[in-house]
Amino acid sequence: MRRERRRHNVSYIKKFFDFCGEKERKQFYFSIFLGVFHALFVAMRIPAVFVVVKAILEGGLSKQTAYSAAGIICASIVLQTLVSLKTTMLQTRGGYHTSSIKRMEIAEHLRYVPMGYFNTEGLGKVTSIATNTMDNLAGIATRCVMVVTKGIITTLVIIASMFFFKAEIALVALATMAVYLLGTELMIRAESKTSDKATTAQDTMVSRILEYVRGIAEVRNFNLFGRSITSVDDSIDAFTTYSTHLETTYEIAMFLLSSLNKISGVVMMLMSIAFYLNGSMSLVYAVMMMICSFMIFESLDQVGAFNGLTRTIENCVDKANEALSSPTMDIDGKNITPENMTLTVRNVDFSYDTKKIIDNVSFEIPEKTTAAFVGPSGGGKTTITQLLARFWDIDKGQIHLGGTDIREYSYDSLMKNFAFVFQNVYLFNDTIENNIRFGKPDASREEVIQAAKAACCHDFITALPDGYDTVIGEGGASLSGGERQRISIARAIMKNAPIIILDEATANVDPENENLLMQAVASLTREKTVIMIAHRLKTVENADQIFVIDRGKIVQHGRHTELMNEDGIYKRFIGERKEAAGWKISSRA
Amino acid sequence: MQIGILWMLRYAFHGFSTYSSHGATFGLIGNARKKLLKKLNTMPLGAVQARSSGEYKNIICDRADQVEPTLAHVVPEFTANIIGAIAMFIYMMHIDWRVGLWQLICIPAGLIAFAVMMASTPKYYPNTIKKTKALNAATVEYIGGIEVIKAFGQSKTSYGKFVKAAKEGADCFIDWMQSQNFWQNFGMACFPATMLGLLPSGVFYCLNGSLAPADLIVLIILSFGTVAPLVTVFGYADDMSRIGEIVSDMADVMDEKDMVRPSVSKNKPRSFAISLQNVRFSYKDTEILHSISMEIADGTVNALVGPSGSGKSTIARLIASLWDVDSGAITIGGVNIKDMPLSVYNRYVAYVSQENYLFDKSVMDNIRMGREGATDEEVMEAAKKCGCHDFIMSLANGYQTICGGSGGHLSGGERQRISIARAMLKDAPIVILDEATSYTDPESEAVIQNALSRLTAGKTLIVIAHRLSTIADADKIFLIHDGNIEASGTQQELLQASPLYRSMWENHIAARKEEA
Repeated sequence: MRRERRRHNVSYIKKFFDFCGEKERKQFYFSIFLGVFHALFVAMRIPAVFVVVKAILEGGLSKQTAYSAAGIICASIVLQTLVSLKTTMLQTRGGYHTSSIKRMEIAEHLRYVPMGYFNTEGLGKVTSIATNTMDNLAGIATRCVMVVTKGIITTLVIIASMFFFKAEIALVALATMAVYLLGTELMIRAESKTSDKATTAQDTMVSRILEYVRGIAEVRNFNLFGRSITSVDDSIDAFTTYSTHLETTYEIAMFLLSSLNKISGVVMMLMSIAFYLNGSMSLVYAVMMMICSFMIFESLDQVGAFNGLTRTIENCVDKANEALSSPTMDIDGKNITPENMTLTVRNVDFSYDTKKIIDNVSFEIPEKTTAAFVGPSGGGKTTITQLLARFWDIDKGQIHLGGTDIREYSYDSLMKNFAFVFQNVYLFNDTIENNIRFGKPDASREEVIQAAKAACCHDFITALPDGYDTVIGEGGASLSGGERQRISIARAIMKNAPIIILDEATANVDPENENLLMQAVASLTREKTVIMIAHRLKTVENADQIFVIDRGKIVQHGRHTELMNEDGIYKRFIGERKEAAGWKISSRA
Repeated sequence: MQIGILWMLRYAFHGFSTYSSHGATFGLIGNARKKLLKKLNTMPLGAVQARSSGEYKNIICDRADQVEPTLAHVVPEFTANIIGAIAMFIYMMHIDWRVGLWQLICIPAGLIAFAVMMASTPKYYPNTIKKTKALNAATVEYIGGIEVIKAFGQSKTSYGKFVKAAKEGADCFIDWMQSQNFWQNFGMACFPATMLGLLPSGVFYCLNGSLAPADLIVLIILSFGTVAPLVTVFGYADDMSRIGEIVSDMADVMDEKDMVRPSVSKNKPRSFAISLQNVRFSYKDTEILHSISMEIADGTVNALVGPSGSGKSTIARLIASLWDVDSGAITIGGVNIKDMPLSVYNRYVAYVSQENYLFDKSVMDNIRMGREGATDEEVMEAAKKCGCHDFIMSLANGYQTICGGSGGHLSGGERQRISIARAMLKDAPIVILDEATSYTDPESEAVIQNALSRLTAGKTLIVIAHRLSTIADADKIFLIHDGNIEASGTQQELLQASPLYRSMWENHIAARKEEA
């Protein structure tokens, strides 16, 4: 009758406890220990009934009998309440603390993950784990584990107390419980193949649905709905088929197992009658046994009811562990102030996913010069600039800042020297002022305004109804792409770092205000060491050195005029840029 | 004996209903998923995009899965338990109605405890919602902004903030539980204690001779049969309330307004000239377009220009039938676009922007999406026409290269060119090109422009333009400002007539000088 999937009680419960922290695990264990007493107090209704039944069958029914029975029940209620006051809090604390500690672990872990590891998809996944999954962990998973352990313990306690009445009957009950648990285990093993297929079908379905949703514009544009090419309906049907098949098998098996419980109850009842008839058990005991046989498997059935949620527990634990398993790097070096800002790269190799991205690259960027990286997309120019600021650790070679290997710096003391302007602007859901101040947390408002002015932000900020107090993000002001970009530049200006790493905007974000953006970049880069992924001809032309990167190697190096005299990627690149900038669209191509 | 029969009946009913509800439930969920997906196909695209793909995944996949255990188990169990309990109760009332009622004395006690417990909900519940939201927001910020946080060396401070939010997020629930701890547990202990009333009252009635002692024993046994199901039911109250929540999430999507379209076209467009008559459009209570009228001749190049936020993209989306106009009309060759089924209309229009999505399938299949049933040769023909064939052949697996994340590493520019080939194969007579967002990959801009030129040749073309030089030769330029058409005409006409256009042009030239 009950739902099962993949694993049975014991294995996932163990997994859950292994996953919890030391302190929380102890809280859970203590609460399970108290659970035994709770079960005993719940079972006190049996002695209460016993008092009455005994009085009825052996004579001597009196008001006293009623008072005793009522007294025992009242005591049972009071004691149950007292114990569960403690266990509820233990479990609540255990559950919510486990989830908040895991959240913190994930957050802490991210500090040590190489920056390069973060891409939108990976971050989305981690975010979902740290929010939804952890919510489920605190709520459903904890409750499920507790109900299951409590159910098993309660059943065991009742069986144990039955031994006082008649060992033979208690043994039958014990055997039934063993068969029940073993049976579910066997059934799950037998069905593990279908279960795996159902899981795969589900994964396929989820990715197809996601694809459908993400590509909804294309689905409509090309009338893909209902066409087999998206396969989304098929994947839904496949999942439905496997799940139904799986559940049907489980249903039949669980129906049988559950019937076993009921039959065993009947057997216990018949045994009681037989023992009474052959005189080896008194009538009172026989009646008590019959009552017990009614309630004996109640808790076990509750255990079954919660098995449907076992997958939630497994999912929670697996996903959290996955988030914590991404590779980390050692960022706790010394606090070093570099002697100068010269960057030296020697024989650097770097691979990602076994694919070599950077292949034996060496160069030097002297202090206060500008280096421009150009080349085809996917050639490795972004990766090189990332390696300079240790977004990744290199496989081979050395990168030095001011003569010291960047791995010797503590991460924060290394980062002090860099300011970044990323292609994808991220602003916090906070006021504009605080977003700019993020570059220098102790800056005064005056300083913030100075930075904003330098980045050509001041005018549009003061034009907003709340000015610098305008909150960016949901429910706040919606800024144009160019405005956001300039705020991110103001933030970088605020930081006033000696080295600027700049992924030059592709100039399409805010066409009307391109000039302002260029002015902002000029203020940021004045008198600094500048490393840029360049797209604009002008910036490339003015660079002190240009590196042309292709397939992980420096294929050309020099100044604009030098490179224009060479046949190569650079000259072709410049030509194409000029052509692209002059492109005119017409109906007569 | 009667007990046995009742019990068997309840059990059999239970088994049957759970069993039969399974097939039904999975079928139901599968259908709900399909319906939701279909809905996304018929509601305005803009309304679809108001939710993130993560939210849809949550609603269509995760949430729908969560309904399953509840629907398949709880509902039948709920009914079986209640019916069983009622049957038992009626039988008990038949034996002795007084004892039957006395056993219920624990229920008011339990209910009072729960009522007290619920009374504290308004005080604590909003706080948990607030703190949970704050925690989720802090999580999204911390993780989403981790790159910035680390780059600015703020990881300790930001981590501290996150930790505070995480602790508060847990504490608010613990505090809530603490506040209702006693009443909840007291209620849980009281509720199933039917023996509290049954035993003493039964004993008294036996003593005064109005109840046979043997009947009392039967009543005791039956009472156990009543209590157990009730407790089970009680345990499901939570799940039942959750299902309401889940279904309401789905209903929110299903309740979105559909774009009303006929199932067959009344008329065929006579040409591919586009006309907008007094079109108004609002988004979230703000009118974005104020009674716009424009004429676009068949086979001409037209450009929409204007400052960001002026409404030029909105016009393009309305023409592409991604949104519906509030009032006024858009016609193609004399036919109102609302009088054509979306599937027919979509054949007339290709919308090209950088967001063009490639599916996790082969290059061949992705291009083939442009036209159902196109042969491999036709696909390659389209790729050749827009100059993609050579680069596709140079990929390790050629046309069989998988485009999605699991496939080869296609660059942004390569992906874009494949999507242009797809639009090429579609060969729609009207092309809408969002130029402002069409170059993700500056290194391959020139080749993409080439492909675009071939795609748009001979079509009715609407360009949302960013670089004014690109559209210098356009047949007609519409200058959009604050939701109105400020001016229209050729570039020369606009330069003379419109000060706004003139200043935009000068700005553009200045920026280009910087660049070139």
